[in-house]
Amino acid sequence: MKANKKRYAMLIDLRKCIGCNTCAVVCKSENNVPLGVWRSWVKRVEKGTYPNAKEYFLPIVCNNCEKPICVTVCPVKASIQREDGIVYVDPHRCIGCRYCMASCPYGVRHINPVTKIVEKCFWCHHRVDAGLEPACVLACPTGAILFGDRNDPESKIAKALAENAVQVIKAEMGTAPQTFYIGLDQEAVDAKEADTD
Amino acid sequence: MDSQILYNITHQEAFGLFIAVYFYLTGLSAGSFILSTLAYGFGMEKYKSLGRVGVILATLLLVIAPLFLLLHIGVPHRAWHLFVYLNFESPITWGSFLLILYPINCIVYGYFMFKEQKKLTRLFGLIGIPLAISVHGYTGFILAFGKARALWNTALMPILFLVSAIVSGIALMILVCIVKDRFFSKQKKIDYPLLESLGKMLSWVIVFDLFLVGSDILVLLISHSDAQAAAHLLLSGKFFPLFLIVENLLGKILPFILLTVPRFRNLATMIIASSLVVIGIFFMRYVVVIGGEFIPLL
Repeated sequence: MKANKKRYAMLIDLRKCIGCNTCAVVCKSENNVPLGVWRSWVKRVEKGTYPNAKEYFLPIVCNNCEKPICVTVCPVKASIQREDGIVYVDPHRCIGCRYCMASCPYGVRHINPVTKIVEKCFWCHHRVDAGLEPACVLACPTGAILFGDRNDPESKIAKALAENAVQVIKAEMGTAPQTFYIGLDQEAVDAKEADTD
Repeated sequence: MDSQILYNITHQEAFGLFIAVYFYLTGLSAGSFILSTLAYGFGMEKYKSLGRVGVILATLLLVIAPLFLLLHIGVPHRAWHLFVYLNFESPITWGSFLLILYPINCIVYGYFMFKEQKKLTRLFGLIGIPLAISVHGYTGFILAFGKARALWNTALMPILFLVSAIVSGIALMILVCIVKDRFFSKQKKIDYPLLESLGKMLSWVIVFDLFLVGSDILVLLISHSDAQAAAHLLLSGKFFPLFLIVENLLGKILPFILLTVPRFRNLATMIIASSLVVIGIFFMRYVVVIGGEFIPLL
């Protein structure tokens, strides 16, 4: 990653997450996401059995990877990585071939059932460009989500990334995800629906 | 520890049945083309009668195949974007050019073949071979670049696709030759020795295909956890009937026995074996495409 260049990143502190789904709801309303698809959501996993049970919440948004496979495979360059790292889909160029959906390791892309083009979380770049925070960051009632320029040493997120032990989902995919977590539980990440094995 | 999902979203299918059909048809086309060049490109005279059938099949199949891509993509009227906004890192961009060049070459090659211009036929036949290999090989790369899916993300995928393309191409050719000889030729007589040598060829390519599929599964079984899950999905999970029974037992092992054991070898078993192979390879495409993205990623 080049220094002195703006590079947005997100940090979700799972210790503060209460699983209220506000981020998922506000995302739907901010970005006009149709029924049946989600740009962000909260995966809930229960570990252990009563009375020794604990629920884990895993809010998922696009990782806006530093090395995004979706940008590599898009045949029409509709998936674009901006200078500041945000990965977005050009709605006028996407042909809806779904190759990005097939190759994204995080399943954060969907076909819009109305327009039939691919959409995803792009950290509300329309808000960011206007100097605002992404909708989920603003709406989170516990302030669990941080967003900002990680290359600016004075920013909250740069400090938080430096001071905390942070994790990313599926680092082994080599996509260099830029959505970081504090207190990420591997078992909550790996849990799959039971009927698939 | 016990962990169970209380809430998660369901993901849409990225590549569906249309993509499986597309892979199947390009495979049949590439296989037919390679067979047609045996006589006209490489001068193996005994396969001369395959030349014309092969090139017609290859062209027809490759004209139909991209229609399934148009059915698959969300905004078909933007398909021209593929030729204007190029991303040479994406196998689909390679493919959009191959899908134009290959049918054109097929038509030129066929034209000279029917005009009996031997030298030009040979030239375009030989140009066509790398094109035919690429037009099917690139589909293997499409899946191999889908790095999130353990079943797809293997360097074996392009060669696996090519070999199964040749398997299905030979089997289809046997069936078409029988129909052509029986109903459309002047003598109404089936050229059995030709079928027999095609059958022999088919049985050995099946062995190579089984070897590749076996290697793929064996390595998946001891690789990382997603790969193991994918292997178990095929061997004992939901895709076990399609993968083990339809694709490999009925689609490869049984035809191999029918084609190689001398006691079984006759026209009827040849028809049965080839039909089974043609169906089996379709399910191979289906299992790879749909099975590959069956396990959710998160």
